[in-house]
Amino acid sequence: MVRHRKEVHPLSANLLATNPPATNPKTSGYMVTTKKMKICLAASAGGHTSQLLELSESWRGSHTFWITTASALREMLSKYGQVYIAGECNREHLLRVIVVLLRCARIVFRERPDVVISTGAAVGCITCFFSKLFGAKVVWIDSITNVERISLSGRLVRPIADLFLVQWPELAKKYSNVEYLGAVI
Amino acid sequence: MIFLTVGTQFPFDRLVQAVDEAFDNGSIDEEVFAQIGETSYRPRNFGSAARLEKRVFDNYVKQASSIIGHAGMGTITMALYNHKPLLVMPRLKRYHEVVNNHQVALAKKFSELGHILVVYNADDLPDSICRLKNFIPKERIAAPSVVADRIRRFLNSLRD
Repeated sequence: MVRHRKEVHPLSANLLATNPPATNPKTSGYMVTTKKMKICLAASAGGHTSQLLELSESWRGSHTFWITTASALREMLSKYGQVYIAGECNREHLLRVIVVLLRCARIVFRERPDVVISTGAAVGCITCFFSKLFGAKVVWIDSITNVERISLSGRLVRPIADLFLVQWPELAKKYSNVEYLGAVI
Repeated sequence: MIFLTVGTQFPFDRLVQAVDEAFDNGSIDEEVFAQIGETSYRPRNFGSAARLEKRVFDNYVKQASSIIGHAGMGTITMALYNHKPLLVMPRLKRYHEVVNNHQVALAKKFSELGHILVVYNADDLPDSICRLKNFIPKERIAAPSVVADRIRRFLNSLRD
C-alpha cells in the first residue's frame, strides 16, 4: 500500500487512530519467537540506501518498514513494507532538520519498531534516537565512505547503539565498542 | 570513448574544465562524453548533458573504455562493478564542491587498494589520463553476507 505523507492526519489524530492496543508477547499466548520482530530500516537516498539493501539477508522474514529521504525510492523499497519519506536534510539547513526531525518522530511514534537498522546519514541518526527513546534496539553500520573517522551521524549514535559496525579495520581499532567484519560494498 | 561523470547533486566544473584542457594540449586522443550536472560551463571539445536517464547512463558506462569522475562512492562502485578503469579527482570543501573532504580519504583508500587511479589537482590530470589507458583495476571483494550474518545473530539474540 502506498501512503502519501501529506494526506496523513496531524499527530493528535494519529494517536487516536492508528495505535492498536499494546500486546505483550509474553502474555498473549504466543511464543516470543513466533512474534514477528518489527524492524525500521533507515537510510538516506543513494549510497546509504544501496549499502543497507546489501544487507537484506539479515532482516529476511521480519516485519520491516523504511524511512528514507527521496520519494523516487518509494517504488523500489515498497517490497520491504511501508515506505516513509522524511525529506532531505543536513547540518547546513537547520529548519529542514527540524522538519525532518518532526516527521521521523511521528513515524517512529506510530510504528514503534523493536529494532532500527541504519547506514546513515542524518535521517538515520534522527530515527535511531527517537526509536531508542521508545525502547528499540539500535544497529548502526557506518558508511564505507568514512575511512579515517566515523561519520558525524555515527559518532552521535555510537553511545546509544546496541551493535555498531564499521567497514574499515582501522576504525575498529580507533574506536571502542565498534566491530569490523568486512565491507558491505 | 571516455565517459566523464560528476554526479547530479552539485556541478564540478574544475574537473570538466581540466578534461577540456587536456583535450586542448593533446593528452586525449579518444572521444569523450560528459555528464556534468547543472552548470553554465560548456565543454569546447566534447558533448555533454546535465543529467542522464539511468538507462542512457548505463549505456555510456558499458560503451566506455574508461571513466573519469568525482570520487563519489556511487561512481567508484559503478566502475568496479562494470570492470572499467576509473580515474577520480576528489571534490574539495575549499572550493565549495562538497560539504566535507571525505572524498579525498575515500579516493586515497581505493587507489591504495588498486581499485582506481586518483589525482588530487587538475595539473596532474593529463599524465593520469595516459596511465588510465593501461590501468587494470583490481577486483573488489566485499563481504555483505558476513556483515548481514552478524546482524542476524544480533537480531536472534533479541528473540531469545
